[in-house]
Amino acid sequence: MMMARRPLLALAICLAIVVALTAQTPANGQRIISLVPAATEMLFAIGAGPEVVGVSSFDTYPPEVATRTRVGALVDPDYERILTLRPTLVVVYGSQTDLVERLGRSRIPVFSYRHVGLPDVTTTIRELGARVGRMTEANALASAIEAKLADVRRRVSGLPRPKTMLVFSREVGALRGIYASGGIGFLHDLLVTAGATDVFADVMRQNVQVSSEQLLARAPEVILELWPSKGWSAARETQERAAWRQLPAVPAVRANRILMLADDKLTIPGPRVGEVAQALADALHGTAR
Amino acid sequence: MTDALRPETHPSQPRPHGPSPPHLLRAPLTRGLPIVALSFVALVASVGLAPFVGSTSLSFTRVFATHVPFGDNVDAQIFLLARLPRAVAAALVGASLASAGVVFQSLLQNPLATPYTLGISAGASLGAMLAITFGAAFPLAGVAAASLVGAFLAVLVVYALARARQHGLSTTVLLLSGVTLNAFFSALILFVQYLSDFTSTYRALRWLMGDLDVAGYAPILAALPFLIVAFAAFIWLARPLNLLSLGADAAGTRGLDVHRTQRVAFFSASIATGAAVSIGGPIGFIGIIVPHLVRLMVGADHRLVLPVSAFLGGAFLVTCDTVGRTVFAPLELPVGIITALVGGPFFLWMLLKRR
Amino acid sequence: MGVLAASRLSFAYGSDPVLDDVTVEVAHRDVVGILGPNGSGKTTLLKLLAGSLTPASGCVTLDGRALDKIPRRELARRVAVVPQETHLAFDYTVLEIALMGRYPWLGAFEIEGPSDLAAAADALDATGTAPFARRAFPTLSGGEKQRVIIASALAQLDDRAAPDPHQRDTHRVLLLDEPTASLDLRYQLEIGALVGRLRRDRDVTIVLSSHDLRLVGSVCSSLILLSHGRVLATGPTRELLTPEIIGELYEVRADLAAPLLP
Repeated sequence: MMMARRPLLALAICLAIVVALTAQTPANGQRIISLVPAATEMLFAIGAGPEVVGVSSFDTYPPEVATRTRVGALVDPDYERILTLRPTLVVVYGSQTDLVERLGRSRIPVFSYRHVGLPDVTTTIRELGARVGRMTEANALASAIEAKLADVRRRVSGLPRPKTMLVFSREVGALRGIYASGGIGFLHDLLVTAGATDVFADVMRQNVQVSSEQLLARAPEVILELWPSKGWSAARETQERAAWRQLPAVPAVRANRILMLADDKLTIPGPRVGEVAQALADALHGTAR
Repeated sequence: MTDALRPETHPSQPRPHGPSPPHLLRAPLTRGLPIVALSFVALVASVGLAPFVGSTSLSFTRVFATHVPFGDNVDAQIFLLARLPRAVAAALVGASLASAGVVFQSLLQNPLATPYTLGISAGASLGAMLAITFGAAFPLAGVAAASLVGAFLAVLVVYALARARQHGLSTTVLLLSGVTLNAFFSALILFVQYLSDFTSTYRALRWLMGDLDVAGYAPILAALPFLIVAFAAFIWLARPLNLLSLGADAAGTRGLDVHRTQRVAFFSASIATGAAVSIGGPIGFIGIIVPHLVRLMVGADHRLVLPVSAFLGGAFLVTCDTVGRTVFAPLELPVGIITALVGGPFFLWMLLKRR
Repeated sequence: MGVLAASRLSFAYGSDPVLDDVTVEVAHRDVVGILGPNGSGKTTLLKLLAGSLTPASGCVTLDGRALDKIPRRELARRVAVVPQETHLAFDYTVLEIALMGRYPWLGAFEIEGPSDLAAAADALDATGTAPFARRAFPTLSGGEKQRVIIASALAQLDDRAAPDPHQRDTHRVLLLDEPTASLDLRYQLEIGALVGRLRRDRDVTIVLSSHDLRLVGSVCSSLILLSHGRVLATGPTRELLTPEIIGELYEVRADLAAPLLP
């Protein structure tokens, strides 16, 4: 009743509410939250960056993610914060069933992300593209990636394929807690693409915890280690190489064929996998052509 | 002074007179020596046999074939570089945790005390968590060293807290300090895990389950000085700990330097525990199962309980580790899970058993 | 000069005064009883006499030597304490407990020898506990347990292994803190008889604190009466164990105290 008597005040309040609600909605009205760093990269790569309003705690690429709201990650998604952002689509991990259920109850659309192998990357790009209305850009991106991968395969096709162990995680400065790629998964596929034989090709798991016994039994000729870029330096590399000298009986250690790459993109199954394949191929076979 | 107070001798109690029965004159200690020898043999046997078992099938003739250069002899490499150090590590860790358990139970006058009761493993775990989570950014010394530092920090804090009120080490105050430290450090550990990324969290959880795959002798050698000091102290502590079981006052009136004994016991057992945890992580149940079983076998004399617990603790852990790495080969079950699977039913049995 | 003498002792737990200006003297082969209500400082006095506690002022001497000047082990060979109750953390056998009394006679890594075993056997015999030698302590009755602890104390005082003949001439003191406090009548009488036998058969000076007027009346030759941390009176038992004096000590009417006296 008070509002009826003061129509101008009512109008001003309504306008304020509308402005607040719409202030941050991008042009085409989509508000996307991505809990998966790989998916975030995909969204930005297909031009949906402006529609992304929320990212995970661990997103670092592209640089624009710094300006987006952080909403947690795999084990600790901040449900309240997600709701506050009023998303029109939330990209989650396939295993986050709890979160999916809650979002479903709030009627928020969900894109469930599961990646296993390398082909899933381009498949997911296409699916995401369809979901956010950027099919053309998605197809273009996917094709470019596929072409790049094919190119890498072609370049290494005639070269010898060393028995390689791809280590993606290890205790700092020690040979404990070594995790390597198993015979399935995008890391394995990348390794094979880059022209190597996976020493754990017969183990049908994505990750293998490598005991010292397995290390000696499998006897890799090359050890390829992927490290995060944070904290990496020449001193760290020396330290990590020294750690391997504890087991000089391993052929890769004896022949000093331990390759270390430090870059966050190496373990992200996102749009930059083509670059990753190239980087691995360069490391394995020398920078060439 | 009336004779009315002299009671009639009860018919079932013969009035003692004359020389004592001969069996009384054999020292109780010597009766336990065969068990000490047997348990030592068990330890040596377990360490010697464990490398022959594993997920990879080895040709043992090839392992010991001296004509094949070591660099080409994968079988020998696996036996000597992967399995044997692991068995030795398990033996040392098991021996340390079991004997530290005995000492802590004596110090705290409680058979339910464990090497972790006073917060040492919480300190070690915090050190390890910090190294695992932030190790890449601050690569100081590695997880093992960090856990050792964390353990010693916890020891000093508990000691300072326990000493704050009085000169000696009251068991009640020690216990309370330990419980406080456990709670506080556990909260810090959760906080660190909250800050860490998924990989670090997973790695940290995995560390907590125990891992004896030392990949060479270096981690063992690094911890060895601490273990030697601790074991030497245990040898000295054996008889004083017997006296301590009568109570601090009663031990003191029999000529024991109670404060010194408590200090030596506290620090040596803490050092042993810290070193053991730095090698293999906080493996549970050994520090309580083994001492309990050993006391059932040999009685309460620490001069028997300590060595037998050490030997059998080592043999037990070697066995658990061997089971863990073979039963689901090539997958490895963390050794802490095996000891927990044995420990749970053990506690149930203890609970149900009537004294 | 008495075997054990305390001169102007005072002691406080924190800011809580417990004993004030206590002077006592214990003669050779005497059996001295310390009587007093709870809180009068009996246990504290006993601990000071044993050397477990250090007085705030005053001093305790054994054969003329100040207790704090006597090395711990030597003191343990000459003064043994039997506490009111013993709670064992682990299941030691009776023989093991008796042998624990031999601690002050053994080196750091020395194993008990024949003389130690003989001393323990002797002590078990004297207390009638030899039949239980291999039994676990917690399985015994209250009276049996107390006798075992007394045996341990006797083994502690047994100086057959002393290399120095001069040492054999030094006096031994047995201190008992309320030895019958938690026991049934039967066991009270047993302990009483045991103390009587020890007094008669052994060259040992005994000091015991107690509420048990019958025990005190039957075995003690002299008494120390403590009230509120001060000595009310000392002297021969027959003189002090009267309804009037006991009544004054416990702050009850003499006629109430009378039936309790032997």
